Amino acid sequence: MKGEILPPLTASVHVRRAGWRFGLRLWLPLFLFWLLLLPLVLLALPFLLAAALIFGVRFWGSIRAVLSLLAATRGTSIAVDRPGSRIFVNLQ
Amino acid sequence: MTDNRRHILDMLASGKITAAEAERLLAALERPAGATVMSESDRAKYLRVLVDTVDPLEGPTKVNVRVPMQLLRAGVKLTGFIPSHAREQVNDALRKEGISFDINNITPQNLEDVVEQLRELTVDVNNDNTKVRVFCE
Repeated sequence: MKGEILPPLTASVHVRRAGWRFGLRLWLPLFLFWLLLLPLVLLALPFLLAAALIFGVRFWGSIRAVLSLLAATRGTSIAVDRPGSRIFVNLQ
Repeated sequence: MTDNRRHILDMLASGKITAAEAERLLAALERPAGATVMSESDRAKYLRVLVDTVDPLEGPTKVNVRVPMQLLRAGVKLTGFIPSHAREQVNDALRKEGISFDINNITPQNLEDVVEQLRELTVDVNNDNTKVRVFCE
């Protein structure tokens, strides 16, 4: 269960298109995005709690499930190769 | 013949269990102790989809997608948070489309069984211009 709710911390994105002289290689620190998102989520919590009460949904369970879903995206990788072009995305 | 084996065959003979259930029980008896619990390393971790296609105009394209099995598990867990009235609505909608499926049957235990079976799954589609391979690793 260790790290079960830890969302992807980094993403690697490689893009190279036909005609481009150089490819684009990005290393995205997603953890910064989560840190920026955290205050917004905290502000939204009372509204989410109210919605959960109105619709009869388990609040903390839902939060945990959404975090698990985010965490489960770690390890996802998508690569598309065509002559002269390549797109690669990897979540870690 | 061991007592357990004889007991299973007796239950089968008396009609208390079906042949399929007896087969499953006998298979479980034959498994070595501790083999019923799958170790973490034995479990399939990723679903892989490989597509290799040749477009007459744009040339060959290769797609390689790796999806963690944990994503499937987490997605199914989310169904547990659907309110009961909404579940009925979903079931009604499925029935209207001719799909006799009850989403109440999607449970973590059932999912583990499905995921375990997926481990053995390999789908190979070969066409003139396209090859698709789906498997777990």
